[in-house]
Amino acid sequence: MPVPILKQGDVLIASVQDALTDSDLRELQNNLVDRVGRFRSRGVVIDVTVLDVMDSFAVRTLRAIAHMTRLRGAETVVAGIQPDVAFSMVRLGLTLDDVATVLDLDEGLALLRSRRDGRPGRGR
Amino acid sequence: MNERTGRAVDAASFESLMKEMNITDEEIERRKDWLEFADEDVQRVRSLNALARRVQDELIELLYHHFLAFPETRGFFQDTELLEHVKAMQKEYFIRLTEGDYNREYVLDRLKIGATHARIGLDTKWYLGAYAFHIRALAERLFEEYRDDPKAALDIFLSLIKLEFLDIGLAIDTYIAQRERVIRIQQEAIRELSTPVLQVRDRLLIMPIIGVIDPHRARQLTEQLLHSIRDTRARVVVMDITGVLTVDSRIANHLIQTVEASRLMGATVIVSGLSADVAQTLVRIGVDLSKIVTVCDLQGGLEEADRIMADYGAKSQDAVAEASTP
Repeated sequence: MPVPILKQGDVLIASVQDALTDSDLRELQNNLVDRVGRFRSRGVVIDVTVLDVMDSFAVRTLRAIAHMTRLRGAETVVAGIQPDVAFSMVRLGLTLDDVATVLDLDEGLALLRSRRDGRPGRGR
Repeated sequence: MNERTGRAVDAASFESLMKEMNITDEEIERRKDWLEFADEDVQRVRSLNALARRVQDELIELLYHHFLAFPETRGFFQDTELLEHVKAMQKEYFIRLTEGDYNREYVLDRLKIGATHARIGLDTKWYLGAYAFHIRALAERLFEEYRDDPKAALDIFLSLIKLEFLDIGLAIDTYIAQRERVIRIQQEAIRELSTPVLQVRDRLLIMPIIGVIDPHRARQLTEQLLHSIRDTRARVVVMDITGVLTVDSRIANHLIQTVEASRLMGATVIVSGLSADVAQTLVRIGVDLSKIVTVCDLQGGLEEADRIMADYGAKSQDAVAEASTP
């Protein structure tokens, strides 16, 4: 099932609804990188609250999306990684090092707003 | 060897104890095989039945005379009513011992008795001593009965030994299982008590860790922290390890993993309370903690947390202001 992408002001919200297949992920990546330019978005929140597993392909894709959207001027934030998912990711060495991660969608939007306002955000 | 409070016995709980101890029909057969307790042994022990019935009263009196001679065991038989009850149970057991049919029900009875003894706190030494007493007393009468055929007497005696050892084994295992159950419950309690996650302020947690961190506890600690982050929407966590005297590379790596996992959930972890010894050890064994914010004491940790929260606070106030302006 493709991930719906919502536009909210200058932020895109990708709200994952179900487990992601590799092709879902590729499609998500294509859509986001495309729409960031089309809507001139400054930020992207990918909400993964529903996911109870995150494999290396998913993590790699999320990182790639973050890097790609950054090149097109939008910061990507991953929101809602669950406790068990977070710990198993770390154990597998999938730490999403240079991608901002937050507790939930609210936090993601707040973080993006503060970054846009040019406040020296905490380097994550 | 006595049943003190039959009324308190809850069949379901013994079934679960049996499951816990992994006593299945198969296991019972294994135990018998190991003791080489075969059908002929059953026959021989059964042939004792008549003798056992004849001497039961005498044996019980001797045994309880023995019990009452020692202050440690006398304490268990304070009132006469109880004493009579226990004697009756005991007699029943001695007869049952020679009636054959050493099946699941029989085993369950043995477990009940072991559990009862463990509960009233009769130590195994008294329990084993009583068995020895019974074996000796019965053997005397047995060999006297078979005066003309010592070979037969010996065979019966050896079969009886096998059976009594089967019973002893079961009862002792129950003792151990009961103690282990207590230990397990206590460990659980200690663990829960020893890793509290405290909310100090809105979205700021403190997690003091005291004592030894073993892999199991480390795992539990992490789980608890991550779930607390989600439940309280924490942004900053101060993990204070003042009470952890030694940190090895495995624990350090686990701390790093916990910090990383917290970051994935959007929370910053500050590790406070690294003593001089711990700092020296970590550097000597070459653990890289550069990814983690570390400070030397809890006060420093809270100050650092305040700085981070203030940073966030400024941001979220902006966010709120912005959200309320159309």
